[in-house]
Amino acid sequence: MAKVLAVEDDSDIQIVLKMVLTRLGKCEVVLSGEGTPVVDLAREHQPAFILLDVMLPDMSGTEVIQRLKADPATKDIPVIFLTARSIPSEAQEALSLGALGYLAKPFEPMALVPQINALLSKVGNAITIGV
Amino acid sequence: MNRNLSIPKPQIDVEQILNSTVRMIRSTWKTKVCIYIHQDDQGLLKIRAWDGLSKAPPASFKIMPGNGILWKCMETNRLMESGQYPWEPELVGLLDSKANPHGMKYVVVPVSGQSKVLGAMIVGPFDKNFDTTITENDFRCSGALCAVLAAYVRLYDWTQNFVPQMNHELRTPLTAVQGSLGMLIGGMFGKMDGEVSSMLQMAHKGCERTVSAIETFLVKQQDKMPKP
Repeated sequence: MAKVLAVEDDSDIQIVLKMVLTRLGKCEVVLSGEGTPVVDLAREHQPAFILLDVMLPDMSGTEVIQRLKADPATKDIPVIFLTARSIPSEAQEALSLGALGYLAKPFEPMALVPQINALLSKVGNAITIGV
Repeated sequence: MNRNLSIPKPQIDVEQILNSTVRMIRSTWKTKVCIYIHQDDQGLLKIRAWDGLSKAPPASFKIMPGNGILWKCMETNRLMESGQYPWEPELVGLLDSKANPHGMKYVVVPVSGQSKVLGAMIVGPFDKNFDTTITENDFRCSGALCAVLAAYVRLYDWTQNFVPQMNHELRTPLTAVQGSLGMLIGGMFGKMDGEVSSMLQMAHKGCERTVSAIETFLVKQQDKMPKP
């Protein structure tokens, strides 16, 4: 069972993400509502990928990914941004920082797993969730 | 809730426009220095733009009621000449080196809005015989130009923050609503009868229309906003 680290500060969205990823994605979900503990959590759990909200209460998602990419233990973990803003320049910034891609909010829960798999397929030795 | 916004940097440095304007004003008056000082809503004076100073001025300072020339100028809405009153302490170090002992003078111009003085502009040094009364209206117009531009910059900055923030605040609750409805409609919790299903689909469609409205009114309108 793939392990996912979902970083999202909104508790309602956390519930939706956890439900979709566990039931449809057949994943084990580790949740964080803040950016600060993400690197430690990633080191500890070594998730198959990280879903990372762009706007967090303590730091921005872009800062979090920079920290992840700076740490040898976490730099290879694929990161997918979750963004509630559909600004192309933001998406470009996310990609330039090493993100695999981004998913725009609000997302369609039944389409989330295929969308994640499509992004994960870009990585060598790609994993597939929900199978 | 405070969130860290990662707002894309505007392609145009709007502050630079204000500084360029001050440089043009200085150049038009053929002087060494021009400073535009804006009073914010808390009464703090901010040096919004400057040109010709040998060192960077303080970003902001609190003006104290008293005999300082800036205070007098803004209090009375009258154009002042250096020497009429002493400089405020924050300005002494900035302008001393530019002043000269041969009677050159600076002009302190009040910048007035419709109902109050918004700030002041300092231009100089001029020859001691330069008659500022003849050109007072021109000085005031120069100051007003800075005030208009400063207001536009404030508005531009505000929209740059407001639109992404509103977009985020509207989309976040919609994500939970649409996500929950999507899971129910998708049959994640079992099959629903026809009436329940159609009601949920109606609610789901409402979410999609709201997202579409956010796209139309917030995101696309922001793109259409004129850049300074």
